[in-house]
Amino acid sequence: MSGPRPEPAWDVIVIGAGHNALIASAYIARAGLRTLVLERRDRVGGAADTTRLAKGVRVPTLAHTVGRLRPSVQKDLDLKRHGLSLVAPDVRVFAPSPDGSAITLLADAEKTAVAFRLGGSLRARDSEAYAPFDRRVRKLGRFLDTIGRATPPDIESPGLGDALSALRLGSSFKALGRDGSRTILRVLPMAVADLVAESFESDALRAVLAWRGVRFGAVGPWSAGTAAMLLMDGAGNDGGAAGETVFARGGPGSLSAALLAAAYEAGADVRTKAEVVRITSRDGAATGVVLANGEEIRARGVVSGADPKRTLTTLVDPVALGPSLGWRAGNIRTPGVVAKVNLALKRLPTFPAAAGDEAALRGRIVVAPGIDAMERAFDATKYGRWSDQPILEATIPSLTDASLVDGAKEGVHVMSVIAQYAPHALRDGDWADNAERFADAVVDVLESVAPGIRKLVSHRQVITPADLERDYGLTGGHPLHAEAGLDQFFVWRPMLGHARYRLGIERLYLCGSGAHPGGGITGGPGQNAAREILADLRRR
Amino acid sequence: LDLPKHGLDILPLDGTFTPVYEGTGRTPPKDGNGNPIGTGDYLWRVNDHGRTVRELRRWSKLDVEAYEEYGPLMVDMARFIKPILAIVPPDPASIDPRPLLPLAGLLRSFQKLTERQQAVFVQLMTMSAFDFLSQWFETDPLKATMAASGIIGTFQGVRSPGTAYVLLHHYMGEIDGAFRAWGIPKGGTGGISNAIASAARANGVEIRTEAPVARIRVGGGRANGVVLATGEELDATSNVSSVDVRRTFIDLLEPGSIDSEFESEVRRFKFRGSSGKVNMALDALPNFTALPGEGEHLRGAISISPAVDDMERAYDDAKYGRFSAKPYIDIVIPTLVDPSMAPPGKHVMSCFVQYAPYQLDESLGGAAGWDLQREAFGDAVVNRIAEFAPDLPSKILHRQVMTPLDIERTTGLTEGNIFQGELSLEQLFFSRPVPGWARFKTPIRDLWLCGSSTHPGGGIMGANGRIAALEVLRSKGKRT
Repeated sequence: MSGPRPEPAWDVIVIGAGHNALIASAYIARAGLRTLVLERRDRVGGAADTTRLAKGVRVPTLAHTVGRLRPSVQKDLDLKRHGLSLVAPDVRVFAPSPDGSAITLLADAEKTAVAFRLGGSLRARDSEAYAPFDRRVRKLGRFLDTIGRATPPDIESPGLGDALSALRLGSSFKALGRDGSRTILRVLPMAVADLVAESFESDALRAVLAWRGVRFGAVGPWSAGTAAMLLMDGAGNDGGAAGETVFARGGPGSLSAALLAAAYEAGADVRTKAEVVRITSRDGAATGVVLANGEEIRARGVVSGADPKRTLTTLVDPVALGPSLGWRAGNIRTPGVVAKVNLALKRLPTFPAAAGDEAALRGRIVVAPGIDAMERAFDATKYGRWSDQPILEATIPSLTDASLVDGAKEGVHVMSVIAQYAPHALRDGDWADNAERFADAVVDVLESVAPGIRKLVSHRQVITPADLERDYGLTGGHPLHAEAGLDQFFVWRPMLGHARYRLGIERLYLCGSGAHPGGGITGGPGQNAAREILADLRRR
Repeated sequence: LDLPKHGLDILPLDGTFTPVYEGTGRTPPKDGNGNPIGTGDYLWRVNDHGRTVRELRRWSKLDVEAYEEYGPLMVDMARFIKPILAIVPPDPASIDPRPLLPLAGLLRSFQKLTERQQAVFVQLMTMSAFDFLSQWFETDPLKATMAASGIIGTFQGVRSPGTAYVLLHHYMGEIDGAFRAWGIPKGGTGGISNAIASAARANGVEIRTEAPVARIRVGGGRANGVVLATGEELDATSNVSSVDVRRTFIDLLEPGSIDSEFESEVRRFKFRGSSGKVNMALDALPNFTALPGEGEHLRGAISISPAVDDMERAYDDAKYGRFSAKPYIDIVIPTLVDPSMAPPGKHVMSCFVQYAPYQLDESLGGAAGWDLQREAFGDAVVNRIAEFAPDLPSKILHRQVMTPLDIERTTGLTEGNIFQGELSLEQLFFSRPVPGWARFKTPIRDLWLCGSSTHPGGGIMGANGRIAALEVLRSKGKRT
């Protein structure tokens, strides 16, 4: 293996075509690098996809909202021109309870507080506390957004002290003010249950607000670090206390279609049904990939949109990685606890708590009956069982986007349900035996807030954590690629020393949700990674 | 403080004995003739490395390898972390850079660690004890017993993020050169207090007992003395409170002495006592079925932590306002080491029990409900031990049950929290006890804190008192 080798045909190979990989590809190709995207499945988009559930009925396959997508990504890649159209209902969250009461969170916090007061089910103190809580979440979220847009500092560099003091004295930290800067350090490691209890008395309100702190995580509201997850969810968008509720018209797949168009226009090449089975390397640097059919493709750099654990433990040569890093990569935590249940409904279900107001159902419908109920649902996962009272976040996107059901009978609707907690590793039996039973439990919970819904279901799709691992390559079925815990955060996401999008070996990069600032349909990791990749590989 | 001269005599505590359920062992222990020693199994770690490794080999060869690597790594971590405990935490919002200097030094020593050590340090500060240990070990009772040290005194479970760093405390003692990290002071833990009191007196401190302070006197924003319950007034230029932050600012000050914002921060400080204590006088030593007889295994700690799930379920009970039906218990029989504590042949058994949440569920009467639940709690503890030592109940002469409510009443510790405030991540360092007030001084001039409510938290290590004293002296312009 000596002598000069011919210049590779590609500058960059991107493994996978999820939303972050497509975004990274578009930015990289736009800068003039020859970019090839290789996707194992027959379609692009990863978790941002739309499935045909029945004749004329389409449903968000996995993710159902796209409101966290960075505005700068939308603008830079001109996604509107590429066909992205967003729908933002005024009701962000509707949280019905079986007793017929409900908490409704609107886009506007002041209006929400007024509605609380008029509704009469909450104490005056809680109504008054809502707008200040919303302002606090926004303020801390703004600070986390500046962190999220930055590449984590290099811990090895002697300039780290400078970096930290820059951070400390930086305008964003300063903008927090004296109390804000103390608050953020106190709040980030907190349990979200404690955070919401500092402001509110109502258990129902606490629970609906706490939901975003545990969504997609193998944690309950009493787990430390869940307050950070809530604040991160509102970072860089108009989330606030209610959180974002924005749909892509035509389903999340239309976001992926727009991203694909942007990547093509930028000059990237995208191949589907092209499964990468190995990342080749030489002298500790990535040199290309090998496909399942044996084809070898070389490139100056390799970017993985797959999760970091899969990338390092199954694609990279263990010898190149070394035993210490191999051990650390093997210990990246990926405890998936989320399943998806998609329903075609013969007609719109009746939620007594909505009192006939169809507009209330346009946002995210959160069924989280209380902090303890959420914690108990989480408890099941610790012992390898799925919760028989799962916490749900449902949407009925056909209410705001009729195109999803335009080939179906009049009155048909689709419902997309994120159901938690359902651990990837079951102690008794496997998911093949449990999927339908878990889906039954999900429908039972829906039945408790929308009596009669069970009979309205004409088609049902269940996607378990085992399916997420097998079909989407998500290790442990984790939708965020790696748990968003305090131990896999910022400078140590996915691992300390590898958070600057450079992963394990030279010229191997990570651009997916396993990288800072983490998961969700944000485009953050993809956009940040592209910046670092270009800094290394751009031809001068 | 030269405590040995003042009578402190720490007797070595030999290892940890964990009895486990029958059938959960790998290769049950046998005697020299190949006959099983008892029924059921145990995991026994002693302060003799070779013996521990031999014992562990019975359970898992992989864990033996991991154990050899884990110990030295933890010692390195403890060596790194120890200076942090002696730092006066800076106020992150302050623009004065001087208090940040120790942090910069810390950062430099952090950079000197290998990348793997750095990563492990971060994990220690952020992970759950269970997740952390699972990176090395597979033996369930080993993980359960080691993880137990991460939850002592906290309202957290072994799977709760933020419990890993307490694992380090076990390695702190070793780096002082003491071979055995844990010990029982002769005469009970009171022995430590007496030795420290003697040292204090030798330095000219006057100690008055049975002198409860009713109020800290404040005039012109300055503390200038205390009023005793008897009405006697004592003047002082510096007033240092070792009671917890809530008692200091809410109970001992006249209402309105502190600004409302600080007061609400104090009220927000979480206590959440989670442990109880059961002391027993025994007619004779109990017999553990897994290893019958009065062997060496009874001389160390006996840990009732047979499985990680048991530890976690014990926590689950507490989360919903009940004491654990099958609690985690850390047992010591001090009379085996120091027979002077009981009449000849008799023994004392001291049981630290978790979880016993201060705030019981409303259906049990809330915190006040403990007066009705005390004996039921004591029974749960005895029954739990009897699962592994069935003859224990027949050997009990006397039983004393200390609920968190009792701990609060007798010691003044708010909500019975033995660390004067939950050791959760958001109540450490910068933020202990109140963000911006982690430097031992308080908004009232000449009033200082020196107890476990301050950095670096609880446990009998004396660090808080030492750093606080140095701060008080510094403010007076005295050299140390």
